[in-house]
Amino acid sequence: MPALSDLQRSLRDALVHGGTQGLESLLVGGCDPNKRLAIHQRHYRVSLIRTLLERFPATVWLVGSPFVTDAAHEFVRARPPSRPCIGEYGERFPEFLATRPGAEEISYLRQFAELEWHLSRLALAVDAPCLTIGDLSTSDAAALGNATVTLQPGVLYLHADWAIDELISLYLSDDSRDHFTLQSGDVWLELRGVRGELTMKRLRHAEFLFRAALAAGESVSDAALSALEIETAFEPGLALLELVRDRLVVGISGK
Amino acid sequence: MAMTVHRRPDAAGIGLRLPHLAEVVDTRPAVGCLEVHPESFLANPHATELLTDLARHYPISVHIVGISIGSADGIDRTHLRRLQAFIDAIDPVLVSGHLAWSTRQGEYLNDLLPLPYDDDALNTVAAHLDEVQDGLGRPYVVENPSTYVAFRGSTMTEVEFLNELVQRTGCELLCDVSNVYLSAHNMGYDPYGFVDRLPAAAIGELHLGGFTPEEDEGTPGRTLLVDTHASSITQPVWDLYEYAVRRFGRKLTIVEWDNDLPPLTTLLGEAAHAATVTGHLFSLQEASSAGAF
Repeated sequence: MPALSDLQRSLRDALVHGGTQGLESLLVGGCDPNKRLAIHQRHYRVSLIRTLLERFPATVWLVGSPFVTDAAHEFVRARPPSRPCIGEYGERFPEFLATRPGAEEISYLRQFAELEWHLSRLALAVDAPCLTIGDLSTSDAAALGNATVTLQPGVLYLHADWAIDELISLYLSDDSRDHFTLQSGDVWLELRGVRGELTMKRLRHAEFLFRAALAAGESVSDAALSALEIETAFEPGLALLELVRDRLVVGISGK
Repeated sequence: MAMTVHRRPDAAGIGLRLPHLAEVVDTRPAVGCLEVHPESFLANPHATELLTDLARHYPISVHIVGISIGSADGIDRTHLRRLQAFIDAIDPVLVSGHLAWSTRQGEYLNDLLPLPYDDDALNTVAAHLDEVQDGLGRPYVVENPSTYVAFRGSTMTEVEFLNELVQRTGCELLCDVSNVYLSAHNMGYDPYGFVDRLPAAAIGELHLGGFTPEEDEGTPGRTLLVDTHASSITQPVWDLYEYAVRRFGRKLTIVEWDNDLPPLTTLLGEAAHAATVTGHLFSLQEASSAGAF
């Protein structure tokens, strides 16, 4: 009998890659215990593939179930889950999907699948009590530049090279039109989810940089510099007020 | 070290899965307990918010599926900390998990995998059980697995292993009656004998769930029972449940259904049936001891 760790390594390999190498003489159960091991192998494969297909329904809608299913088959072998919360499995699937044969013809596929991943995750968020303009007015304006802000947990900033927000909106609204022209070009998106509700909003480039920098934990002044580099008329104070009016700011620290 | 221990209801409850959550919030059905898998909630703040509200109205039993006390690699401490925060927020009446393993070197294999029953595994499980109980600050009740294959090198039977674990750690056991029935069928032993040999004083909770028969490919003509939690509880399992309740006494019982979920009312009906079985048994016993028979 091998040590427990060696036994578990063999079982892990059998589950993820199939086969029963190294286990044949160790198992008992029925006339052919290796065939019973197939119950665990099937469960691993089927449950994770189902998880991915359920997590990426818009991607299935876009490129078809066979393409995504084939990719999911390979993904669960190449990249088993790293966490016990299966709801968190699949974050790297868009990147993997884009490496599959045929994906090179759909250059927006990875970004589309990433957008879907983020939307489904953000939809589960719960918002926190937000600051008001009144809260901001009590701040020392001079010190505000060094402050960092905390945004709602269900907000994310995402840049894409295609109008994938329009494309996924077709799926989300169950729009069955026969023809749609996907425009290429930068889109700067603010994604927001709370208790099952989702919104996607396009931002100006400078506004996006300002908000994304704040979301990444940069100070107000550093975020403003990022925005001013590409829009000299950008007004950081006004942009901060807009952020508060949008009910996105839940805290300011270091002001 | 301090342990939080709650008085437990001896009622029947249901496994609350995410597709039923909104309906339970809206309708607040009469049921003795709600059992949840924390791994379904940890990545879902909205569902956790709803569950936190339900926890003010129902006893909650937390049934962990991903802590893997049988892994030779050790416990995933990041996951343990996440569980601790969740459990502290929900304040369940009971926390349980499986005699199984599911993680290896940072990979989670999404299944409850079998352990050999020998000293090596016993030492591993006992040490991890202590670590989990310390981490959670609560007793961790250990459930008997559903079994399709075992290991030639095992030096104990499953029930001997469970008894040893109780002896060594003082832990409680969760007797999944359906798993007893299914494993006994698959591995060829007597389920009633298994129930007889469990340490009755250590039983803290009972589970019931459906299984799916399929052909045992390696043994033509034989049926294998697969623990799918995708169907109603069968009559032989109800019979074994009644036997288990006679032996263990009135215990919190959870009916689990995880795949091909039926309407909530079906699940509540199964829990009501479990309550009826238990209630009938104990009303008979009470009447008998009062001299009515």
